[in-house]
Amino acid sequence: MAGARALGFKGCRKIGGSQIRNLLNAKDFFLFDCDGVIWHGEEAITGAPKVVSSLIKHGKNVFFVTNNCTRPRKNYVNKFYRLGFTDVMQEQIFSSSYCSALYLRDVAKVQGKVFVIGGEGVRNELLQAGIPFVGDEDAPDGTIFNCALASDVKAVLVGHDDKFTFLKLAKASCYLRDPECLFLATDVDPWHPLQDGRILPGSGCLTAALEVATGRKAMVIGKPSPFMFECISSQFRVDPAQCLMVGDRLETDMLFGANCGLDTMLTLTGISQMKTAQEYRDSDHSTNQSFVPDYVVDTIADFLPAFED
Amino acid sequence: MAVSKCTRLNGPLIKQMLDSVDSVLFDCDGVIWRGDQAIPGAPDVINLLKKNGKKVFFVTNNSTKTRKMYADKMALMGFNATEDEVFGTAYCSAMYLKHVSRLQGKVYLIGSNAMRQELEKVGIQQTGVGPDPISGVQIDWANVPLDPEVKAVVVGFDEHFSYMKLNRALQYLNNPDCLLVGTNTDTRLPLEGGKAVPGTGCILKAVETAAQRQAQTVGKPNHFMYDCVASQFGLDRTRCLMVGDRLDTDILLGSNCGLKTLLTLTGVSTVADAEAHQESGCPKRLGMVPDYYVESIAELLPALQG
Repeated sequence: MAGARALGFKGCRKIGGSQIRNLLNAKDFFLFDCDGVIWHGEEAITGAPKVVSSLIKHGKNVFFVTNNCTRPRKNYVNKFYRLGFTDVMQEQIFSSSYCSALYLRDVAKVQGKVFVIGGEGVRNELLQAGIPFVGDEDAPDGTIFNCALASDVKAVLVGHDDKFTFLKLAKASCYLRDPECLFLATDVDPWHPLQDGRILPGSGCLTAALEVATGRKAMVIGKPSPFMFECISSQFRVDPAQCLMVGDRLETDMLFGANCGLDTMLTLTGISQMKTAQEYRDSDHSTNQSFVPDYVVDTIADFLPAFED
Repeated sequence: MAVSKCTRLNGPLIKQMLDSVDSVLFDCDGVIWRGDQAIPGAPDVINLLKKNGKKVFFVTNNSTKTRKMYADKMALMGFNATEDEVFGTAYCSAMYLKHVSRLQGKVYLIGSNAMRQELEKVGIQQTGVGPDPISGVQIDWANVPLDPEVKAVVVGFDEHFSYMKLNRALQYLNNPDCLLVGTNTDTRLPLEGGKAVPGTGCILKAVETAAQRQAQTVGKPNHFMYDCVASQFGLDRTRCLMVGDRLDTDILLGSNCGLKTLLTLTGVSTVADAEAHQESGCPKRLGMVPDYYVESIAELLPALQG
């Protein structure tokens, strides 16, 4: 089945019942965002674990594509299990921190150290990939007026860092004065929501600060950049036409799907609302069309009736 | 209509230009000093201008010192200047909040002690200055206790900037009625001793990104700093000269306010930069082309001494 857009189809279509069944039959690969799609914080979205295990039972390939870099993949597996997604294996999880490590090791083939602005979620993935890194622990008494720089730093990686300080910003911008030093960001999400709807600053804020300091643009690994899809494709044989990207954030998940040539589905259990999707669809700017989902569901639990046969 | 611009100021043109102005506004970093070293000849230039009956003011985006701290620094370096001639963004932000925003309430401050002092001087209380290390977990950060009297988030240079401060600012700014004010958007801050670190612009950008809104900025090139000087000293803008080293702040401020502008080459911008703006033909960029330029303000000395 050709991509929905190729049929001249305006998008943003709320679907249910047999339409979902047809879609599930037509696609072999299901890519899910996590926060706001399959869970909210520490609570699974009602029906989501059954959806995932039903897809797997029906022989579908399921992947999880998340910008959340606050934990390493092996910890994510524990969370999946804890929340009732008992069939999920580490190999199915693609986080922006894991993919950043893959980029550094396999694409950039970085020879030297990486200066990291990030927490355990980022550092652990670099460790797993065998990439040497430094944070700012090496000079705990350093101040902005007098701080030591490590030698042999060939890349700066910015991710979510709740221990972010001005000193880290200053050091990173020193390293990035060398145009040969790579500048990578796990993602550029400006904020992310917690369970109760409150929000916290995201990696995007720290990346923006460093871009202003250096006058350079970061290479973004996470959604909406297509790199995470390239990671999946390099490990599994994936046909974009057979994929469905399911997410809750128009500017990351839907744009990611559009950038990779995938059909997209917005679920309304997270950040973005139907109204916003419709505004993008009806706007005059052609660039806004990339934010428009092909399909919309209230919750991924709407898939469940399709499995009853 | 070709207005002659970006003219090398020398010879009789210098005296002609000086005679056409009554007031001179100087940027500081890269114009009259670099760090803690005066630009050679700069103290004499300032002192002679005053002797010749010109009014002299100092207009800087640097928010790390109060007017008094600047005046003390100037005295040490041989500049004959008084506190009320200095307009830094710590002072001007306090003035802005008091007289333009007419703030009734407190400020959550990401900034220096100098900013705190200038706010207190105009009777505005603040919370937030100093180190603010993270503790607890995500849900705690989202639920940090907020002072209900805070009505504005103000951002200046802060060496203690951290994720926790960024978070607090975001929580306050979730209220759409809470103001967001920044001192300036400069990307680098010059330090004593000649080094430079990331500037306030970086910190402000982080806060704007989290809150998904733009700050009101007080510093150059916004005209507010000129308005501050003019309202206190009754200036005639047609007889006013702005001297600076940055095209995108100093010269643009001058253009925006209808002042004559002089670029000095002892700081950030070059003649090539100015010519590129001039040749672009882009209306937005033409404001960054200075009327005149000199290698250093010391070149004004012969005309002042004669």
